[in-house]
Amino acid sequence: MKRRTLLKSVAAALVARPAAGLAQAAQTAASTFTAADIDTLRAIADVVLPEQIGAPARERAVAAFVRWHDRYREGADMGHTYGASTVRTASGPAPARRYPPQFASLQDAAVARGAKSFALLPRDARRAVIEALLNTPTPVTRMPAQPTGASLIADLMGSFFNGPDGWDACYGAEIRRYACRTLDDSAEPPAPIRRG
Amino acid sequence: MATQLRTSPVHEADAVIIGGGITAALVAEKLAELRPGWSVIVVEAGRSLLDFDSRYVYRQRSLDYGENQWPGDFIPDQAPRGMISRTMAVGGSALHWGGVCNRFSEEDTRLKSLYGLAVDWPIEWKELERYYCEAERRLGVSGEPSPLPEDWRSEPYPMPAMPMTWNLIQLKGWAEASGIRFWTTPQAKNTVEGYGGRGKCRRCNTCEICPTGARYSPDFTFKSLLAAKKIQLHDQTLVRRLILDPASTRIAAATGNRLDATGAAVEYRAPRFILASGYCWSTHLLLLSANSRFPDGLANQSDQVGRYMTGHLAFQTTIDLDARIYPGMNEQHSLISREYFRCKPGAPYIRHDLRVWENSGGRGPAMRDANGSLLMADALLTDWRTRISRGTARVRGYFDVHPDADSRLTLDPASKNRFGDPMPSIQHRIDAASESRRAATRAHFDTLFARLARARDGRLGQISALNYQDHPAGGCRMGTDRATSVTDGFGRAHDHDNLFVVGAPTLPTGGCTNSTLTFTALALRSVTEIAKT
Repeated sequence: MKRRTLLKSVAAALVARPAAGLAQAAQTAASTFTAADIDTLRAIADVVLPEQIGAPARERAVAAFVRWHDRYREGADMGHTYGASTVRTASGPAPARRYPPQFASLQDAAVARGAKSFALLPRDARRAVIEALLNTPTPVTRMPAQPTGASLIADLMGSFFNGPDGWDACYGAEIRRYACRTLDDSAEPPAPIRRG
Repeated sequence: MATQLRTSPVHEADAVIIGGGITAALVAEKLAELRPGWSVIVVEAGRSLLDFDSRYVYRQRSLDYGENQWPGDFIPDQAPRGMISRTMAVGGSALHWGGVCNRFSEEDTRLKSLYGLAVDWPIEWKELERYYCEAERRLGVSGEPSPLPEDWRSEPYPMPAMPMTWNLIQLKGWAEASGIRFWTTPQAKNTVEGYGGRGKCRRCNTCEICPTGARYSPDFTFKSLLAAKKIQLHDQTLVRRLILDPASTRIAAATGNRLDATGAAVEYRAPRFILASGYCWSTHLLLLSANSRFPDGLANQSDQVGRYMTGHLAFQTTIDLDARIYPGMNEQHSLISREYFRCKPGAPYIRHDLRVWENSGGRGPAMRDANGSLLMADALLTDWRTRISRGTARVRGYFDVHPDADSRLTLDPASKNRFGDPMPSIQHRIDAASESRRAATRAHFDTLFARLARARDGRLGQISALNYQDHPAGGCRMGTDRATSVTDGFGRAHDHDNLFVVGAPTLPTGGCTNSTLTFTALALRSVTEIAKT
């Protein structure tokens, strides 16, 4: 799904981050998200993802989230259910289609607090906005295993916490759940997690 | 990769194998060895998914998006009711299988003699054991021999057992504290480099699509047979009828249609036909092939085709225990106890396997704490860590139930494919004796799971029952009495001496553990006989 045209994307990126230059603009041109969106995602991640994993790991989480949406396929074969004779319905519309009003809400909240963008709000203010969005009007109670579009913030949280990196952070160990690895060290507990 | 069909719709061969799953692969392989001069055509309704190089991509999309691990591995309008897997492709359900290769036990073949239940199989255990060994060699099974004398085996496992992970070591220590012995589960996965030309397992944790090829998959066998020009493989070709010789009861031809855009009619002629389409489609084809001389379906003068559909049921639970478990080290690898495979004659009848896995279910992150307060960032991790300080095990026992005669596959006139053929409908029904054991079986598992939980201060979770019969089989059961069976002990149809039904459909009863090894062992035994014809 390409929500923006190339020209709009380049223009938005240049307006939002004039210092970032063309290289970054070109990088976001094919993305579901604009450079401004990605700045907003970083600003959300800074609040909702663990501080203890470090900034590089949070940046990787945002990149993985963006990549997930960029590679999403509508109408994909979702296979069939073992234990039943049913075939799953094909994948639905891209969850990111539901994000623009949510980005707009974050922007509106920032402007209401006197900032030009959500990313430019102080951390405490960002946290207050995020908490308000997750608590009202209906509290968001779960982080989906995969983004659904219903809550941009919960989707971003779920993308990290439900993934292998989230589990490794919880256990403090490099389990690397879906990494192909040797059988030889099977009997050893996973190594303690490394930062960075 | 599949052989291009000629423009002529009629194909002749020395043997036609209908079906392209794991049984068909091993039958084709062995037939090519025993009868190298024979021409063999394998006809499969589904597509060829022999693109090994794409596995990493398929796997990643499955992990990231939940997409089909084997894209396009089903045929939308071949839609049975009551089947537990829709896979129709070259490789069959074994594209997705976990590779578990448990053997049945001798009791499975002697239920009538030992317990007065169900029927005996028309095969001696010692003979079946030899074919288990052959199947293990061909699939490449790694395993740990059971020390129980009744689990005697005539050959060692082809490969050393899959090493236990840290998690399984902790779980074994806990589970055996209950007094029950456990071993690692045998699996068709390479624990040494190069067995069968395949790599060593790398614990990728997605055995349903093994990206390295360490887990056996029938597409390897087909690829190898095709490369050596030992078979022809006609994929996307649906056999819709078996046709009788007008002057005898032999099968003269198999007819059907291409499932590609042409929809072209095709016909196969051969002196022998081998039905290797699994419990559902093999049985379905016989019923579909009814004619004026066999109005109830081919091989069905006894009215047994489609009856005694079988499998096994299960109880499962999770047990929270005092152990440090790291979910994700090798989630498909498990422990098995064979202590309950046996039941002393005269004792209340219960037979089952008992498996233990690492578990992550119910252990995930939460967005709200117990009071409903929002959790984010480090606070979320802190809350999560309080809930994973103890480990959990997943525990399951498949138990033995026996089919009623009305446990059936029938043709459903309300559901048809593009050609107007009625689709199969399967209704499992257990026999009266199995039904009468329901409460006692549940009570047994309640006690057993509680016993496991008590070991090392474990806490028992909710016990649930499987709502379908797993590893289904039957529909063309083998037997010595042609009035109560469809085939003889080699899978040869009583009514048609050049028609063999192999593997899953021939099982009279479904045992109490994973069945694929048994399906393939029986099929390999059938090939020995087929090669003599």
